[in-house]
Amino acid sequence: MNKIFAVAGVVIKELYRRKDFYVLFVLTALLTFAAGAVNFFHDEKIIRYVKDVCLLLIWVCSLVIAIVTTARQIPAEREARTIFPLLAKPVSRWEVIVGKFLGCWLATGIALVVFYFFFAVIASSREHTWPLATYLQAAWMQWSLLAIVIAMVMLGSIYFAAPSSTSTISFILVAGMMLVGGHLNKIALQQPEPMQSVLAVIYFIMPHLEWYYLSDFVVYNMGSVPWVKIVAATLYAAAWTGFFLVLAWVGFRHKNLTT
Amino acid sequence: MKASPFFILAGLATLAFTLAVKLEPEAAGWTQGQNSGNFLGLMFGDGRKLLANQFFTMADVYFHSGYYPSIFDKNSSEQKEIISASHGKKETEEDEKNEDFLGRPKDWIDAFGRNFKITTHTHLEHGNEREILPWLRLAADLDPHKIDTFTVGAFFLRDHLNRPDQAEAFLREGLRQNPDSAELLFELGRFYNDSAHEVDRARNVWELGVRKFLQASPADQKEDKLIFEEIVVHLAYLEEQSGNYAQAINWFRAAQKVSPNPGALEAQIVEIQKKISAKQP
Amino acid sequence: MNVILKTEKLRVEYRSREFRQAAKVALQGLDLEVGAGEVFGFLGPNGAGKTTTMNVLLGFVPPTGGSASLFGIDVRQPIARQRIGYLPEQTYYYKFLTAEELLRFYAKIFDIPSAEADRRIASLLKLVELEHAAKRPIKSYSKGMQQRVGLAQALINNPDLLVLDEPTSGLDPLGRMKVREIIQRLKNEGKTVFFSSHELGEVETVCDRVAIVHEGVLKAVGAVAEISAGHENLEKAFLQIVGFQTAPLP
Repeated sequence: MNKIFAVAGVVIKELYRRKDFYVLFVLTALLTFAAGAVNFFHDEKIIRYVKDVCLLLIWVCSLVIAIVTTARQIPAEREARTIFPLLAKPVSRWEVIVGKFLGCWLATGIALVVFYFFFAVIASSREHTWPLATYLQAAWMQWSLLAIVIAMVMLGSIYFAAPSSTSTISFILVAGMMLVGGHLNKIALQQPEPMQSVLAVIYFIMPHLEWYYLSDFVVYNMGSVPWVKIVAATLYAAAWTGFFLVLAWVGFRHKNLTT
Repeated sequence: MKASPFFILAGLATLAFTLAVKLEPEAAGWTQGQNSGNFLGLMFGDGRKLLANQFFTMADVYFHSGYYPSIFDKNSSEQKEIISASHGKKETEEDEKNEDFLGRPKDWIDAFGRNFKITTHTHLEHGNEREILPWLRLAADLDPHKIDTFTVGAFFLRDHLNRPDQAEAFLREGLRQNPDSAELLFELGRFYNDSAHEVDRARNVWELGVRKFLQASPADQKEDKLIFEEIVVHLAYLEEQSGNYAQAINWFRAAQKVSPNPGALEAQIVEIQKKISAKQP
Repeated sequence: MNVILKTEKLRVEYRSREFRQAAKVALQGLDLEVGAGEVFGFLGPNGAGKTTTMNVLLGFVPPTGGSASLFGIDVRQPIARQRIGYLPEQTYYYKFLTAEELLRFYAKIFDIPSAEADRRIASLLKLVELEHAAKRPIKSYSKGMQQRVGLAQALINNPDLLVLDEPTSGLDPLGRMKVREIIQRLKNEGKTVFFSSHELGEVETVCDRVAIVHEGVLKAVGAVAEISAGHENLEKAFLQIVGFQTAPLP
């Protein structure tokens, strides 16, 4: 386990030494302040649209951090050839994959904590309440989703040498799954065969990322989700994460890294 | 001679500044008549109408705290214009509350997924209606010719948020952009009649609305028929309350020409005629 | 002889990505044995199979046939690399880390306790004369400094076997001398060193035994003196073994 944490530690160091996170955080803060500064009908109690804008930015930024950071891990190791001194040590390729995953996941988790703290301060400045359970659930579910996304991107980065290809494909897949995933069953019903069956099968075998978007509960102050459902969704995320990581390892374990 | 980079930088900066001063008035002319200097208009160009519609829908989504059908949900077309329908028409509102666009869960994924989305139908209340205002403001900025934005915004400002002055200002803003809109004149008249209790101003505005309707093209008249009926019926009641029974009957007669239910209006006319008879010695 | 590094009938083929293209054979039945405490030079012209052999020993490339082991353990097992140090030909390190952080990272990979890691890091930075730059990011280092960081990381686990791929490549004469000194010192400490080099003079100076490969086949193996016997020097012997014909001067 030490080896996995060691690999993860380097990923985290890389994230906070690069400027990506700081730029995205400053951008989020600036846009949120700009949104909050607009005067609508001289009403200073209006806050939900600011929360909405801020949460949307948090979602976009965390996805950017997760996908871009993960997509470059293995290709950058291969391109800079740092993978060779690493694998020449007593570390297995599975440990490298898991360590990289853990590093990216923890790094995005740290970013999420910073983002959500900022969000809570902004929201409470006008609402004067701290619905911590709702915030915690929203952040946790987002982090769970990012685990699936990071593992999926890790898998992609084994097969696509260019991080830009992996990132683009991942963004499209994640956006597609979040926007359409939950509706594929309805879309399927409106299609003729065999498209109907194809869409139905995709609906049942794809990861349902849309479950993890709890922003509506936060924006509209609609309370929280039963914790048992959160636990179930977390287990679902863990299963998908494990699935993608094992697939990534299968692709990586015998990969000739010298070509 | 070797030029210092500082001199080159200073020269380029001076050139840029001179060109900016020279071209700025012309550049203002390039956009004139297109976006009227509106920042959002400049940013989104002709796509702003689409965006305005989207923001108007967002106001509706906020009004329902996220309980809102997506484009994939069945009967989505029937769910449109929900906040428009809440113009005091309680029947429509109740119907809408009973409607469940989600239906029964289709499978376990659907059933489990519902734990993570808003599944209860609520409307904003206790002043929280203010949360829809930013979206209406943005929709109005993006598409100032979308009449619903102004009427809905004014309705909430006046009836739910108790801000009649802002409601009037918003309607007047809409009227400046759409001076021929009978619908906006009708709403403004309602504001004068119901909130400001300025009967004469209400009468003037509604009568202007009638004139605008009559001046409109036949196609526009067909579209605004219901608004016309609303205006003349309101004028009829106003005149009835003011004791101008003959004028009230005239307005009811005008309303009968376009009303889907002229019989009910006839009953109103009979009532007024009775009042006239009772008044005569 | 206590064999530390062994290959038996080692064969490596690279499958071509082109359809119906025959696989490229990089190694054909390589048999090698390196004993404890030896400094072993691994020689061959470009494309002979030296790097492929090292890649197999380090687990980067799986063998197509035959076997390879370190300390009697199959190289496919990560634990086989617990007691080795590896210095790649070029410097490939995380440039956003400092030398100290890089060494600490590798120490963690070897499960070296923190206090022991601190001690080793300090002594290695002193050995490679990088104490003054220990807290600077590696991206600010010169090529020579990066090579010295590489050497330090290869020694972090106090390895019994050191695998060096062209260790003096690209270094200035002072840097080369420093590397040679370190190899000599490791030899004196009883460590085994397996290294590839094009610098035959250097090989002659520091190696106990050498192996010469050509086109994936082991052509010669033995003590430097044995291989050079009958030739002017090791370079001449090497050229003859690999079949290089010197053109007569006009």
